[in-house]
Amino acid sequence: MDIQVDTRGGPSDGPYFEDAEGFNMPEPPGNGSRRIPLGDFPTGPEVGSRLPDIVATDQSGRLVDVHADRAGQPAVVVFYRSAVW
Amino acid sequence: MEAYRAAGVRLYALSYDEPDALADYAKAHDTTFTMLSDPDSEVIRSFGILNTLIPPDDHPWYGLPFPGSYVIDADGVIVAKFFEHNFAVRSGPEQLLAAALGHEFEVPAPSDEQPAGRVSADVRIDGDRLPMGVTRQIVATFRVPEGQHLYDEPVPDGLVAAAIELDDLDGILSYEPMAPPTSPLTLAGSGETLQVYEGDVVLRLPVTQNARKMQKDDDGRFVTISGRVRWQACDDTECFLPESMPFSFRVEAGFPVLGDMGPGVGRVPAMNGAQHFQRLIDRRAADDSVVDDQ
Repeated sequence: MDIQVDTRGGPSDGPYFEDAEGFNMPEPPGNGSRRIPLGDFPTGPEVGSRLPDIVATDQSGRLVDVHADRAGQPAVVVFYRSAVW
Repeated sequence: MEAYRAAGVRLYALSYDEPDALADYAKAHDTTFTMLSDPDSEVIRSFGILNTLIPPDDHPWYGLPFPGSYVIDADGVIVAKFFEHNFAVRSGPEQLLAAALGHEFEVPAPSDEQPAGRVSADVRIDGDRLPMGVTRQIVATFRVPEGQHLYDEPVPDGLVAAAIELDDLDGILSYEPMAPPTSPLTLAGSGETLQVYEGDVVLRLPVTQNARKMQKDDDGRFVTISGRVRWQACDDTECFLPESMPFSFRVEAGFPVLGDMGPGVGRVPAMNGAQHFQRLIDRRAADDSVVDDQ
């Protein structure tokens, strides 16, 4: 998939830059963390398929296997930017 | 989070942060859902959603995913996923939970007497606040009498598709509407084939607010979202006149929880954000030097 970067937008108030949807950040659109796609981009496994295994350390240092941990319950799995910034 | 627990739905949130950064975040915000650490972006890569627009030497951004959410059922099968191209925007709990419970297009029992032979419509907003960048949904419900149907877009001139239309409001954004499946119907006269909804219909329009100045009241704490729901019902032989129902919802504007990188409205302090951010940069730079040495 050929992914394009969205550079639309421009300067906003003070040190901020506004993107095409009116969100403000210190970086200009298309730079740094703000390299967001314009048009199609990969969204991973398809609806109807089994969620791939996820094994990762949680906030208390415990190794979590999502499918085992949810113990037969439905779940929402969120991939987000960062808890730090 | 209480809503997830009540619904029996587990919540996992994965990022490329170190476990100790997640621990500080969880402590600062009394987090009760499971935060997962993927510092080398292995899980992100295995899902095929690494943001490849960011070059590997761009610290500390390299390793980020294209953000989004998967909803899985009790068997672990993905029943819905929500990805927006703008990483400033993410789905709110109402739409994720509705998908997890499989009732996003369910029509509740009518609360009062319905006019016989005519479509009745309700419209509400799912969620009582609208933080910047987090979507809530305007939900329109149409009860359609037996033998009648509503249309999906696109329709030819003279017909009105069932839709939720927002007024042009500064600071309010809407995204791709969610709708149940449609069936093709070929019109007897023109031979044109249109998409129609069978039976009762629920439409969901995700909305959020951006950073632009917007009309707010009560010291900026509330925002009003207004618009109308439109529809036109037809049966096999004729169409009724188009109808519309205005709506106006006043909801708390609010801010999402942000890191404590510096002072600012809505920011929540005390998770050592700047310190963790520096470590994120340092660790990646160190990884690079290992590669360079070889």
